[in-house]
Amino acid sequence: MKNPRHSRVSRRTALRGAGVALGLPWLEAMARPRSASRPVRPPVRMAALYMPNGAYPETWTPASAGREFEFTPSLEPIRGIRSQVTVLSNLWNEQAKDGDGHYVKEASILTCSRIRKTQGADLRNGISFDQVAANARGHLTPLPSLELGVSPVAVGNDAVVGYTRVYGSHISWATPTTPLARELNPRAVYERMFRAANGTSGTQAKLDSLLLDRVLKDAGKLRRGLGTADRIRLDEYLASMRSIEQRVERSAAPARNSWKPRAKLDQRLAPTDRPSGHLEHVRLMLDMIAIAFQTDTTRVASFMFGNAVSNVSFRFLEGVTSGHHEVSHHANNEEKLREYQIINRWHVEQFGYLLERLAAMREGEASVLDNSMVLFASALADGQKHDPHKLPILLGGRGGGRVDAGQHLVYAEDHPLADLYVSMLDAFGSPVERFADSKGPLQGLLHA
Amino acid sequence: MPGLHAHRTIAMAIALMVPASLLPAADGYSAARAREFLDRHCQQCHQGEAAQAKFRTDDLAGVESFRLHPAAWTKVAARVSNNEMPPTGASQPAPDERASFIEWVEATWRSQACAADLTPSPNRVRRLNRDEYSATVRDLFDIQIDVSEMFPIDGPGGEGFDNAAETLFISPLLAEKYVDIAKFVVDAASKEFKSRQRLFIARPAGSITEPVAARRILARFLPLAFRRPVDDSTVGEYVRLFRRARRQGLDFEPAVFFAIRSALVSPSFLFHVSAARDDPALRHYALASRLSYFLWGSMPDELLFDIAAAGRMDDPAVLERLVPRMLRDSRVLEFSTRFTEQWLRTRELEGDRGPDPALFPEYAQDAELRGDIKLQPVFFFREVLRENWSLLHYLDSDGTVLTTPLINHLGIPLKKKQDGKNPNWMELPEGSVRGGLLGMPAVAAVTSHAHRTSPVLRGVWVLDSLLGTPPPPPPPDVPDLEDPSATAPSGSVRELLVAHSASTACASCHQRIDPLGFALERFDVLGRWREAGEGIQLDSSGQLPDGTEFDGPTELKGLLLDRKKLFLRNIAKRMLGYALGRGLTSADSCAVETIVEGVERDGYESWSLVRQVVLSAPFLNTS
Repeated sequence: MKNPRHSRVSRRTALRGAGVALGLPWLEAMARPRSASRPVRPPVRMAALYMPNGAYPETWTPASAGREFEFTPSLEPIRGIRSQVTVLSNLWNEQAKDGDGHYVKEASILTCSRIRKTQGADLRNGISFDQVAANARGHLTPLPSLELGVSPVAVGNDAVVGYTRVYGSHISWATPTTPLARELNPRAVYERMFRAANGTSGTQAKLDSLLLDRVLKDAGKLRRGLGTADRIRLDEYLASMRSIEQRVERSAAPARNSWKPRAKLDQRLAPTDRPSGHLEHVRLMLDMIAIAFQTDTTRVASFMFGNAVSNVSFRFLEGVTSGHHEVSHHANNEEKLREYQIINRWHVEQFGYLLERLAAMREGEASVLDNSMVLFASALADGQKHDPHKLPILLGGRGGGRVDAGQHLVYAEDHPLADLYVSMLDAFGSPVERFADSKGPLQGLLHA
Repeated sequence: MPGLHAHRTIAMAIALMVPASLLPAADGYSAARAREFLDRHCQQCHQGEAAQAKFRTDDLAGVESFRLHPAAWTKVAARVSNNEMPPTGASQPAPDERASFIEWVEATWRSQACAADLTPSPNRVRRLNRDEYSATVRDLFDIQIDVSEMFPIDGPGGEGFDNAAETLFISPLLAEKYVDIAKFVVDAASKEFKSRQRLFIARPAGSITEPVAARRILARFLPLAFRRPVDDSTVGEYVRLFRRARRQGLDFEPAVFFAIRSALVSPSFLFHVSAARDDPALRHYALASRLSYFLWGSMPDELLFDIAAAGRMDDPAVLERLVPRMLRDSRVLEFSTRFTEQWLRTRELEGDRGPDPALFPEYAQDAELRGDIKLQPVFFFREVLRENWSLLHYLDSDGTVLTTPLINHLGIPLKKKQDGKNPNWMELPEGSVRGGLLGMPAVAAVTSHAHRTSPVLRGVWVLDSLLGTPPPPPPPDVPDLEDPSATAPSGSVRELLVAHSASTACASCHQRIDPLGFALERFDVLGRWREAGEGIQLDSSGQLPDGTEFDGPTELKGLLLDRKKLFLRNIAKRMLGYALGRGLTSADSCAVETIVEGVERDGYESWSLVRQVVLSAPFLNTS
C-alpha cells in the first residue's frame, strides 16, 4: 500500500503490530474519553461485517434454541461474551436464490434485492440497510458512514457467470446504482476520521467553501449540457461534493454544529498503512470501527472480510492447506470440512475481537458495545451448496438496551433476512415500515 | 463509412465459417432449427397481443428478421444464454441445444449487424480512473509523482477494464480524495522548479497587475487541465477565486495555486466529456482526449491539441499518420500495462490470487523475479505493438521478452549471451515452448490455484481470455470437480475430470475446457517445465469434442492458430471496449466485424488493429 502522501512521514512504524494481541491498551491511548460520563443518552451505533463463502451448518448452528444454547465449535470464540451475542437461525435472502453461486448472494446481503445480471452496463441492486441508517442519521456525525475492507476490487468481469466483479466487492450501496468504494488502508481511515472530526476553521474553511462553491457551479453548468443518461454521474458528483460542503459549513459554524467527539483522536497515533498480514490487516480495520464508534465519528460502518469468491490463503492458520473459496467447496470430505471449520471459526474470533474492544470502551454506566449492534453475516449457508437458506447470522451488542441479547433465536424456515434489518433500523433510531422484501420486524429480537 | 458495403458480404461469408470445434457443435444448425427452438421454449408465453412482458417472438424467423427486429434478437440471445429464459419451472432445453441456438444467433447477428445499420451505442460521460488521474497530473504539472494508490481501486466493467463508464462511480469517499489529493498535487508542484516555470508564465510587474498576471496564467492552464477550450467567463470565475484567496490573506503565488487546485476538483478536469450537446466544435477535443487516453493513458499533447484546434481529429488521413507516431511514443507503456494486465488478468498476481509464499519462496522472496514475471506480458505486448508485428505473436512466436532472472527461472538455453539486464526481445531456440502468451510464467501462475495447477482454470482462461468464448456457468450444487479427495482419494486430477466429463450434466462444457488445460499441465504454478514423476502424472494429451487430437503446449498453440479468427475478434472487442471506456452492445457488432475484416486484410498487423479501432464508427461517435 504505497502511499506517496505518507512516504514523507516516518511514523508509520509507531504502531506496527499493535492491536494484534487482545487487551492491549493502545486503543484507549489513541482515543481518550473526554469525560467519564455524559448526561445525554449515548447514541446507538451499527456495523455490518461480512464473511465470504458461507459456513458449515453442522459446526455452526447450535442444536437448541433459547438462552441456554450450546456453543458450537465455530461459535466457541464468542462464548466468553455470550450475554452480548444473539444467534439467529433460519433467516434467508429470497432475492438471492437464483442467478449464480456468489455475486447474487454477496451483493444483496445488505440490500435483500435482486441484482441485475450484467457485466456493468446496467448495474442494479437496491439500497443497503446500513445506508438507510446513514441517510437518516448520518448528518449527526462528521462522517455519515464508513465502508471498509481488506481486499481490493477484483480484476475483470467474471465472464463465465456473466457478472461484473463489482458486485462481489461491494455490500454497501448508496443507491441501487451506486456501490460505495471501500477504504482498505487503516492509516487512511484513521486520518480521514481525524480530518472529519476536527474539521477546518478560519482561512482554511473559507477557502474550502470557496473551492466547493466553484466546483459545484462548474458541475451544474456541465450537467445542463448533457443528456439524461450522462447526468447520473454528475448527480453522483454533486451529491458527494455537497456532503463535503455541508460538513465544511457545519464545522465552520459552531452554532449550527452540536456534535462533540465522545473521545479524542490523536493523529500521532495513526496506525500503519502496511499491515504485515491478513490477521493484522483485519484487526486494524476492526479497530478503526471501534475507534469510530467510541469517538462518535460515525455511527454506521460496514466491513468485508473478503470479496465474493474470496480465495485468500488461510495457510497462516495451522491445519489449513489452501484458499478460502477452495476449502468452502469441501465436497463433504472430512479433511476439507475440518479446514473449512477452522476458517469459519477464525472469522468468528475476529468478530469476537471487535465485540471485546467495544465492550472494553466505557460509556457512562455501560459500554460502547451495549450501545451498538454488530451484525456478522455470510451470504451463503454451506459454501458447497451456494444456498441462501439458513444463513449464518450473528448479532453482537444490545443496541442501546433495545436488543434482547444472549439467546439463540430460531425462526420458521425461510424467514426473511430483511426483517432483521427492519428491527435493527428501529433500534438504531431510524425506523422504517418496510425494507426490501421484509414482512415486519423480527419477533423476539428487541425488548417489547 | 467508405467501403463498408463492399465488405458486408465478406463479413457474412466469414462469420459463418468460424471453426466451431471449440464451440458447442453448431454444425448444420439452421434458421429453421432456431425457429423450432423458439416454438418449443418461448412461443407459449411470448405470442401475439397477450404476450408476456409484451415481448413477442412470433416475428423472429429467418436471417432477415435480424435486420427487422435487432433489439428483440439481442434480448432473446441475452436471456437464453444467461439461463434466465425459459424461466425456472418451465421445461428447459438441453445444454447442447441451448448452446447451439445461442451460437447460431450470435453468428447470424454478426453477419447481419452491418446490414441492420444500427447507430453505435453512445459513449457516456465518465470520470478519470485513478491511473488516468495520476498520469494526467504528472503530465499537466511535469512532476514525477504517482498518486494512483491514494485512490480507492476502480472496479471492472465494460469489456473487463477499470476505465468503463458504467462502473466508474463517485462516492463521498472519492469526493474527499479529490479535494485532498488536489492539495497534495498542488503542494508538490509548488515545490518543483520545472512545474512553477511551466505554470507562472506571467508575474505581476510594472503595468501587469496581479489579476492580469493571474488571468494569463489561468487562461493558459485551464484549457490544458480541462482538455478543451475554455471561455473567458470561466477563466474569469477562476480569477475571481484567485482574488478571493488573496483577500483571505494568501500571497500571489499561493492564491494562484489555490485557483489551480480548485480546477483539479472541477468536474471539467475529472470527467471525460464525450461531447457537450451545446457546442459541436468540442467534438475534436473530445476525440483528441479519447485517442490520447486510449494509447497514452493520459492527456493529449500539444500536437493533438493543435489537430483538434484545426478540426481534423476525425480526418482518416490524419489519424493514419498519427497512430504510428503515438504507438512509438514511450507513453504507450501505460496502455500496454493497463490493457495487458487486465485482459490477461495478470494484475491479480499482486492480490490474494498469487502463488503461495510458503510453497514458492523462490517467487515470494525474489522481488526482481516477481517483477519480471509480471512485466513479461506487458513488454511483450509493447514490443509487438511498437514493431507492428502480427497479432498472432500472442498465440505463438519464435521469440519472447526475457531478462536474466526469467532466463534462469525458466532454464532457457540461449544461443549467445544476450543482455538480460533490461527486458529484451530474444529469439527462442528451435522447438521452445516459450513462444506466445501461453509460454509465460505470469499466465501459468494466474491460471493456477495458489498451491497447485488447475487444468480447469487454464482451460477456461484459454476459452475466455484468448478466444472470447467463455463456457457457461456450472450448474448449482455440483461439487468441486477438481478436488482429488472428493470422490476417489487416489485418483489424479485428470482421472477425476475424465470421470466427471462422462456425466452428462458436466460433459458438454468440460469436454471443451479440460483438454485445453491438460495440454498446459507440464507448466507448474510458476510456469516452469516439469517432468513426470514423483507421483505426478503429466499426460498432456487431449481431444476436442470434434475429435481433434493434440498433445502439449506447442500443438495447442497450433490449434489456436487454426482458430485465429476467434482470437482476433476477441482482442478486437476488448481493445474497442478499452478504447471507448464502456461495454460493447449488439449495436457495436458491425464495428467489431469491420475491424476484424480490416485487420485480416492487413495480415494481422498490430497497427492495423489500433487504426481500425480508432477509425471505427463508435470511436468517432461524439453525439
